[in-house]
Amino acid sequence: MSATVNVSSHRDDRRTLVVVFLRGAADGLTLVAPIADDNYHKFRPRLAVKKEDAVLLDDVFGLHPNLSALRPAWKEGDLAIIHGAGGESDTRSHFEAQDLMEHGGLAAGGWLGRFLRARGPAESPLSAVALAPTLPESLSGAPSAAALQSLEEFAIEDRRDGKAKPDFGRELQRLYSLEKGPLNAAANNTFEALRRMEAIDPKAAPANNAQYAANEPFALGLRQIAQLIRADVGLDAASIDLGGWDTHFTQQTVIEPLMLKLANGLAAFRQDLGSRMASTTVVVMTEFGRRVAENSAFGTDHGRGGAMFVMGGGVKGGRVHGGWTGLKPEMLEDPGDLPVWNNYRNILAPVLARHGADSASLPGIFPDFDVKPLELF
Amino acid sequence: MASRREFLITGASALAFSGAIFHATQGWWSNVRQYAGVGLSRPLDGPLTPPRDAALDPVAHALNRFTFGPGPGDHARVTAMGVDAFLAEQLAPEKIDDSLCDRATARFAECWWEQLGEAYEEDAETLSPILRRAALLRAVYSQRQLFEVMCEFWSDHFNIDPGKGDARYTKIYDDQHVIRQHALGNFHDMLHASALSPAMLWYLDGRANVKRSATEKPNENYARELMELHTLGVHGGYTQADVMEVARCLTGWTILAKKNDGFSGNYLSPIKDRGKVVFRKEAHDDGPKKVLGQEIPAGLGEKDLDRVVGIVAAHPSTARFIATKLCIRFLSDDPPAAAVETVADAFTTSGGDVKTTLRALFSSPEFRGSEGAKFKRPFHFVVSALRATNAETDADRGIISYLERMGHVPFRYPTPDGYPARAQHWHATLLWRWKFALALANNRINGTHIERKNLSAILGGDAALMATTLNRQPNAEESDAFLKSGDGLALALASPAFQSC
Repeated sequence: MSATVNVSSHRDDRRTLVVVFLRGAADGLTLVAPIADDNYHKFRPRLAVKKEDAVLLDDVFGLHPNLSALRPAWKEGDLAIIHGAGGESDTRSHFEAQDLMEHGGLAAGGWLGRFLRARGPAESPLSAVALAPTLPESLSGAPSAAALQSLEEFAIEDRRDGKAKPDFGRELQRLYSLEKGPLNAAANNTFEALRRMEAIDPKAAPANNAQYAANEPFALGLRQIAQLIRADVGLDAASIDLGGWDTHFTQQTVIEPLMLKLANGLAAFRQDLGSRMASTTVVVMTEFGRRVAENSAFGTDHGRGGAMFVMGGGVKGGRVHGGWTGLKPEMLEDPGDLPVWNNYRNILAPVLARHGADSASLPGIFPDFDVKPLELF
Repeated sequence: MASRREFLITGASALAFSGAIFHATQGWWSNVRQYAGVGLSRPLDGPLTPPRDAALDPVAHALNRFTFGPGPGDHARVTAMGVDAFLAEQLAPEKIDDSLCDRATARFAECWWEQLGEAYEEDAETLSPILRRAALLRAVYSQRQLFEVMCEFWSDHFNIDPGKGDARYTKIYDDQHVIRQHALGNFHDMLHASALSPAMLWYLDGRANVKRSATEKPNENYARELMELHTLGVHGGYTQADVMEVARCLTGWTILAKKNDGFSGNYLSPIKDRGKVVFRKEAHDDGPKKVLGQEIPAGLGEKDLDRVVGIVAAHPSTARFIATKLCIRFLSDDPPAAAVETVADAFTTSGGDVKTTLRALFSSPEFRGSEGAKFKRPFHFVVSALRATNAETDADRGIISYLERMGHVPFRYPTPDGYPARAQHWHATLLWRWKFALALANNRINGTHIERKNLSAILGGDAALMATTLNRQPNAEESDAFLKSGDGLALALASPAFQSC
């Protein structure tokens, strides 16, 4: 008997969106530095990325050298960068800005949750996961969303507690096999997803010689997301955070190791997924950028526009999108911030469209906002 | 009072201690247990005979639908009194002693403010947990089960996710004064209260629906949902013109805000007045209007709202829409047209009396014959499992995290249509139900506890425990599976039969 298993429908049909949130307001001008802009070096005499150190992107920009692991994705056209990205609110409060961004404005539920709701009933118990202790607000309102610390939780009995009850699973499956109709199909889906999870060997080496940092939570989280994608368990969306970007003091000592984690993690993830990257999109976002001018403590304060990254199949990569107009003082927003030229919704909308959101559902996903999607795909 | 209230909310462990001293003569340990969220299971002092039939008998069916699931002894009790008397009892909740539930929710009693402004004194982050914990505790422990079932129904019907703006401060007031006040009352009155609920004015932007100049356009959000979701239904016969006219009627109603938001005037309200609903005449469009064919003359001012509520509440589409939703909740996912007609008639002839409408539904021929046809939503599933096992729970993170995985945390549905009622939306939650069943049966949920061995012994063995849990005698396959599984109680709770009601 072959089970009707939605989670195993054609691989190409299932696209997975991975959202990486850099909590604490990452400094877009260090990640993606306008190294050819003289004003940049004037505003940042001590903190600017030096031209000779940067990973050159185009005539204006260079990546911080600690992001060099992203160079292959950029060169091969899989990585797009959007500068001057952020929200419409000029609150410079982390909490408020994250809250607004994750809700998608002054709205109930999260943008990712509403996107998943708009797609209809979840097919898989693992349709949406957060590799985190609790669900992020962006996933609030999703039809089914699990905050997992470890994939081993995804088993009838937690595989970590060593109390496997094979008799229980067998008898449970027997009772559900006696059911008819949708409940039978739903149970089959679930047992099939479980079987695929069991087939994942958490200790197996990643594919394609991908190298994830050992004992590093962000890398571990990305690795588990890659395992879920490879296992075809029906993953539509995954959320993962990388925190600690609030660099008011001695910015370089804080941001440099973080950038390594970010770039090395994303590069390993892309390597690991290989051709599956064609049906995967990674979005990297942060609540706002940081003040253009450095402060007296070798740090930067809360600003407005930041940088976002979109990596994955079909993206118009190898380009910095978003209408950069330079750092001339008169172009900045009071009190000296990079303006937000690109509302985060206009960046997320084309991503969601690639993941199946039709234009009719966009107003519901981003209410009270006239969405003008960037041409990212 | 403020300091005491803060104390109540923030100092749970300290409170346990002070409670212990205060009630020293009554046994301090029981109080510590109570405030730690335990010590709340029902005393099992009546006859506990489980159902004897192989199918769901009429008593089991009534328990499945009028309640969030039977606990030990419920079947025997309702068998003794009869289903009709049970329904009569449940439709008069004010006469039911509910001391166990009162005790379970006592720690939140000070949050049911009379003065809405008091809510703003609280840290918003503490308010949502209070609301959902109270809902879960009431569903588990209240004897006024049908009332609580209807509170859940109306909370979805008039859904407000407190995640939006000041709804985080004002949803508790809505829960008290709209949903719970009218859950078994009159639909028109509930609708009127909802239209003027500060949380609703926030959630659906009514507060921003103003007409202060010739060019200003009203905000149509609430006007549309009022007809599409609260009354007539999407194909109930209203037009875009009706939406715009209703929006005009409701201009000027706003709430006093935390900060000047441009809608409540330049009045910066003192904290005690925050959240208060006011009518701003200067922001009201006082011209003549026409709503669903009925003329509303110019100059009625704030009375426009009464007229609109009256027109939509009495519209025939509203009776059909509410009847359909009730039948989907209490009969089946695709209820027979005849049943909907019966219920809609009762709604209309009684002028929207909820009790009369429910009586018609439960006495319809279609109600008998719908046994086991409903797939429990996750909240219902979790509560019914807690009730079946006579569990003690603090309704806190441990149990909420399971509801989170199943996508059914109370008061966290983002859009105004409320959590879906039909089974298809919830089928992907099976795995988390199974894990919950195992965790509950084996006491692995933080803040929740069952006395499994005692329960089995008191009921007269595992066979009786299974029959109590399933609300009927298990069939041969089930009995066999329970025996072979190594964990009969967990399997009963995880079984297909327990997912339905």
